Amino acid sequence: MFRSRMATFGVAALVLTACGGGNTAAPQKKTELTLYNDKGAWTKFFDEMGALSKQSIGLGMKPTGYTDSAQYQAFIKASFRTNVKPDLFTWQTGGMLEEIVKQKQVADTTAVWQEAIKAGDLLQDLAPYYTIGGKQYCVPMNVAYWGMFYNKKIFDKYGLKPPQTWDDLIKAADTLKQNGVKAFYHTSVLFSFVWFEQLMAGTDPDLYDRLSTGKAKYTDPGVVQVMEKWKQLIDAGYFINPGDKTDPGDVLKNGKAAMVSFGTWFNTSMTQRDMKPGTDYDFFVIPNVNASLPKTSMIFESGPLCSLTKAADPDASMKYLKWWTTAEAQEKWASSRGDVSANPKVTIKDEALGAVTKDAGSGKYRLVNRYFEATPPAILTAALDGFSKFVTEPGTYKEVLDTIQKSADEYWSTHQ
Amino acid sequence: MLGRFRHGYVAPAAILVALLLYAPFVWTAYLSLTRYDGLEPPVWVGLANFGKLFSDPALLTSTRNTLIWVAGTMVLPVGLGLLVAVLSYDIKGGAWYRVPFMLPYALSGAGLAMVWSPVLSHDGIANLLLGVDTAFLQEAPHNTLAMLLVWTWQQLGVNTLLFVVGLQSIPKEPIEAARLDGASGWRLFRHVIWPLMRPLTAVVVGLALVASLKTFDIVWVLTQGGPGRNSETLAVTMYKETFVASEYGYGSAVAVLLTVVTGLASYLYLRRQVR
Repeated sequence: MFRSRMATFGVAALVLTACGGGNTAAPQKKTELTLYNDKGAWTKFFDEMGALSKQSIGLGMKPTGYTDSAQYQAFIKASFRTNVKPDLFTWQTGGMLEEIVKQKQVADTTAVWQEAIKAGDLLQDLAPYYTIGGKQYCVPMNVAYWGMFYNKKIFDKYGLKPPQTWDDLIKAADTLKQNGVKAFYHTSVLFSFVWFEQLMAGTDPDLYDRLSTGKAKYTDPGVVQVMEKWKQLIDAGYFINPGDKTDPGDVLKNGKAAMVSFGTWFNTSMTQRDMKPGTDYDFFVIPNVNASLPKTSMIFESGPLCSLTKAADPDASMKYLKWWTTAEAQEKWASSRGDVSANPKVTIKDEALGAVTKDAGSGKYRLVNRYFEATPPAILTAALDGFSKFVTEPGTYKEVLDTIQKSADEYWSTHQ
Repeated sequence: MLGRFRHGYVAPAAILVALLLYAPFVWTAYLSLTRYDGLEPPVWVGLANFGKLFSDPALLTSTRNTLIWVAGTMVLPVGLGLLVAVLSYDIKGGAWYRVPFMLPYALSGAGLAMVWSPVLSHDGIANLLLGVDTAFLQEAPHNTLAMLLVWTWQQLGVNTLLFVVGLQSIPKEPIEAARLDGASGWRLFRHVIWPLMRPLTAVVVGLALVASLKTFDIVWVLTQGGPGRNSETLAVTMYKETFVASEYGYGSAVAVLLTVVTGLASYLYLRRQVR
């Protein structure tokens, strides 16, 4: 009996030892870091950055890309409680960054920011997106300005020019419609919020900001009017079917829709499809719906690259983040993807995107935080479901707004 | 001698089962009584999650869709499986007729959905071939029915195979005796073959019942439970609340509900069958 019990305890001890781990692991000296990200499609570009960093600072980097952001976020959150911690990882600014910073595990990058701002590698304007409680966390993995990518050949064919006003845009959509071409792309999956944020920001950006902070309600007349406007556009037949699962890059390339609204990172999709800027496609800033606004509203987003205080080699992770902000790293990161950069020293190859970046940096636009980052995660989930329902059944807009507001009420009742 | 060590022999398996099945279940049951975002420590809220769950309109949709999945599974993969088995089991070369039905079973649920996604999407092959403009995956409950057909495409073969095994294992004597007494066709099947197949039918239906109650992968890959939440099943609701909305406590409450429903349905069904 005693022996059998000992055998049982022995096996149990072995299993528990294997499952456990202990928190006494000494910091390692790493020569290659693992960068976890939810941008699986960008693995090639991350790999190129890894090769460059190895050459420049003797620190390699291997990406581990997820394509399902829910799984990715669950993994990162779980890593806070285990010893399997990423050396570097991508995240989102706004409520999601605040949420993980509260856990006191995200490495403070204030020194990196100060140095980079001093060296002209980062702009002070960007710091607020990364500042929580007076300190900076993470560095910009990317920045993106949102506008409209359009199929240049289709525009040329029907004599269309990039619109200067909202009415011009609608006229262009009408011309396309008369010629049997769908003007706009939209989708019921994930990016269902795009037209909501665009119409809100272009109609009443203050209301949009108040909505993000719980100071306005989704049922307020201003928001209802925006939904009605959106419904009018859908009812007018300007959009492709939201259930179309064609990749938006192919939608634009094949001319299934003449215009696709996304962030400047969408340029990477164009690059991957060998499309030439200025010939095959181009980009314009979407005019405001409300012409009386003093500045054109432009959706802006910045995605962070972070490290943890308890990473295997915190110094190496911090060294990497510091390098990431430099002009050398950013030149490669932006040019390989054909995207813009957070580093103002970087020359943007694409003419249209270069101009937008320059204008945005000079204060020409009112930058509006992207809905994904601006909205607390709990409300965002309900909103994405709601907009997904709306784009397939536009008549349900009031019901959709009520449902989102219910989530917002629940959230703000404990988070004001 | 063997008796003295019997606990030691079963210990590895028992520990693994306890660690990998019972412990997570107990933990999930505990989380269902808390508010937990996956980061801050869980906060005890008692039955609040269940109160919210039963007043959530999304639960009604998930339950409706899950019931469609259960009923549809009984009629299509199981019912058709039986039909194909009966029609093919005693004809020459019957095995070859069954091969095409078996092949899709090699696909995983997610792989299956990936294969059917370009067929059922709005710009897909189905609309092209049928010359229609139907939103197969958008309007409820059509989207659930469309996914049920995909599920049937995959599951039909294995159910057919199981029924064929059942048919082949039936003793020949009662059937011969029934035939001598003049029974044939539907009467022979209804009164002799079907009752003899009952033990196997109980297994096939029991497995299909559980599988349909926990339907997740096909729905997640094809529609992610949408548009809106109109094609969610209970398992998809559980996943979305837990991992997308980071409401681990509420998601756990859905998991507990799903476990209770599955356990209860299986128990009631099997108790009736083995009586």
